[in-house]
Amino acid sequence: MNIWKISLSNIFHKPLYALLSVLSLSISIGLLLGIQQLDASIKYQFENSLGDVDMVLGAKGSPLQLVLASVLHMDNPTGNISLAEAEKITKNPLIKKAVPISYGDNYQGFRILGSNEEFAGLYEAELAEGREPSKSMEVTLGSTVAEETDLKIGDTFMSSHGLTENTVEVHNHPLTVVGIYKPTYKVIDKLIVTRLESIWDVHEHGENHHEEDEQQAGDEHHDEVEPQEEHNEEAHVSTAPHQEEGHHHEESDKEITAMLVSFRNVMGMLTMPRRINKETNMQAALPNYELERLFNFTGVGVRAVSWIAYIILAISCVTIFISLFKMVRERAFDLALMRTYGASNFQLLRIVAYEGFLLVFVSLLVGVLLSQVGLHFAFSAFKSGYNQDILLKLPYTQMVKTVLLILVMVGIAILLAILPILKMNVSKILSNEK
Amino acid sequence: MIQTHNLSFQHAPTLETLRFPDLLLEREENLLILGKSGIGKTTLLHLLAGLLQPKTGTVNLDNIALHSLSAKKRDRFVGQHIGVVFQKNYAIRSLDVMQNLEARLFFAGLKSKRERLHDLLEQLNLAAHKNKKIHQLSEGQLQRLGIALAVVHQPQVILADEPTSSLDDENCEVVMQLLLEQAEQQNANLVVITHDARVKPLFQNQIIL
Repeated sequence: MNIWKISLSNIFHKPLYALLSVLSLSISIGLLLGIQQLDASIKYQFENSLGDVDMVLGAKGSPLQLVLASVLHMDNPTGNISLAEAEKITKNPLIKKAVPISYGDNYQGFRILGSNEEFAGLYEAELAEGREPSKSMEVTLGSTVAEETDLKIGDTFMSSHGLTENTVEVHNHPLTVVGIYKPTYKVIDKLIVTRLESIWDVHEHGENHHEEDEQQAGDEHHDEVEPQEEHNEEAHVSTAPHQEEGHHHEESDKEITAMLVSFRNVMGMLTMPRRINKETNMQAALPNYELERLFNFTGVGVRAVSWIAYIILAISCVTIFISLFKMVRERAFDLALMRTYGASNFQLLRIVAYEGFLLVFVSLLVGVLLSQVGLHFAFSAFKSGYNQDILLKLPYTQMVKTVLLILVMVGIAILLAILPILKMNVSKILSNEK
Repeated sequence: MIQTHNLSFQHAPTLETLRFPDLLLEREENLLILGKSGIGKTTLLHLLAGLLQPKTGTVNLDNIALHSLSAKKRDRFVGQHIGVVFQKNYAIRSLDVMQNLEARLFFAGLKSKRERLHDLLEQLNLAAHKNKKIHQLSEGQLQRLGIALAVVHQPQVILADEPTSSLDDENCEVVMQLLLEQAEQQNANLVVITHDARVKPLFQNQIIL
């Protein structure tokens, strides 16, 4: 016989109380941990994806769209800009690196992104095998792409037009895999990286082809060729208005989707975006700032759920308090009896406190389990929904903080419930003829 | 040996002070304390059991002054040397019969020997019920468990508070026989406090409050 045994017997003596306490506490713990972990994981995923990109330069439009499209590769781009003009602006001592990117095609839903040899450096991506693309129509795969498409070095594939998977419009220019990157847990994992020239070449030929069509089919061309791809039309390099004129090979007319910029110091971030937005027909957006704004929008939901979780936590603390308090009252006879057996006040406190902490411990376990199972489902939903798998990362400090908060609140509830034991009048309880 | 001197108690400052006669019991002597309801019988028993602090006076158990011990020491001392049969036969409700006996010894800081516990339950005709929860026991079984809990730790003094008040004549006799038997076996003083006249013939020493 020992204190633990008695505490356990007490719990099993009133299983319904125990079950209700565990249920409400574990739901609130699960909800709190789950929502915090989800929030932190999403933020981490986004912020980590930014890599070294401090500013993005693109066509006028929504800055958030520009960031989502050209930095996180989740949305359609705002339009195209002239490479020459962009280079003029980014030849500035404040700028450490300016990497042009251009895209418009995909392979099995993975975006094919044209850039130069500096792109991988933005994400500190290293090669797992092979090499970086050195000429047109060569590609290096992000690790996720390699895994999911089963493409190997030396394989060739045809890209599809637009940013979403389709089999209707396939370009007839084979791309050759020359390398595969190591996993970075950044956005590059989900990209197929090639040279800018590949994008230009594919769409030049496409353009010529289109022009021939146009001569034959006249005005109906667009409805015929791209009936279901209205969004991607904008995204497509070849459909930008002045390329339709057909001067493709002159360097001054080359177009890109955006320019990713990293600054040497904060000064650039403070002065350049404003100047660009004011003086040019391009826009500059700061990914960190835009994401912060985005989190502020979505944060309302997170905050609301957090508050609900805190309220449930408070309620479950009260539930624990009430059930322990009731237990102390209802078992006053038992506790008084234990005193006549020679138990000290401290032993009685321990019996009830252990009982409370056993319930809390079980609730914590169930709560953590609930949050992990819940997140697992939430994440698999995200994965299939956005083709954007979110890194499951446990923010331990946050978790420890939350668990501590729970323990403190529950500790107070338990303490308040067991204090009456100290003032218990054994004689009165035992002589009370009930 | 149990001895009281000049014992008095006051429940609240505004209430009348209860005064109790001095008692002296040598080893193995039994005592019946008779009195009407409300005269302070239970108070006296609780004073003897160290559950109440007297206003004046002392209770000596084997020459140890009960109320001069620290609260913690007194709890332990009382737990080891005194056994109380309460008016209603309370046992710990979340434990079964055997566990109750083990808990009784555990809180007194004593080791439990399973054979001895088994023997005791056998004597009190409870062996068949040793794994039953308290609420599964009949009134008579509860009464006998109350006695078992009062004697399992081989105390020097067994105090019984109205042990027979709710019993019919037959059970009254059975319970008193068991109490006297156990007290004799353990060489303990048995002090019974009651208003039940049926018990009178069983005791040589009697006082009336």
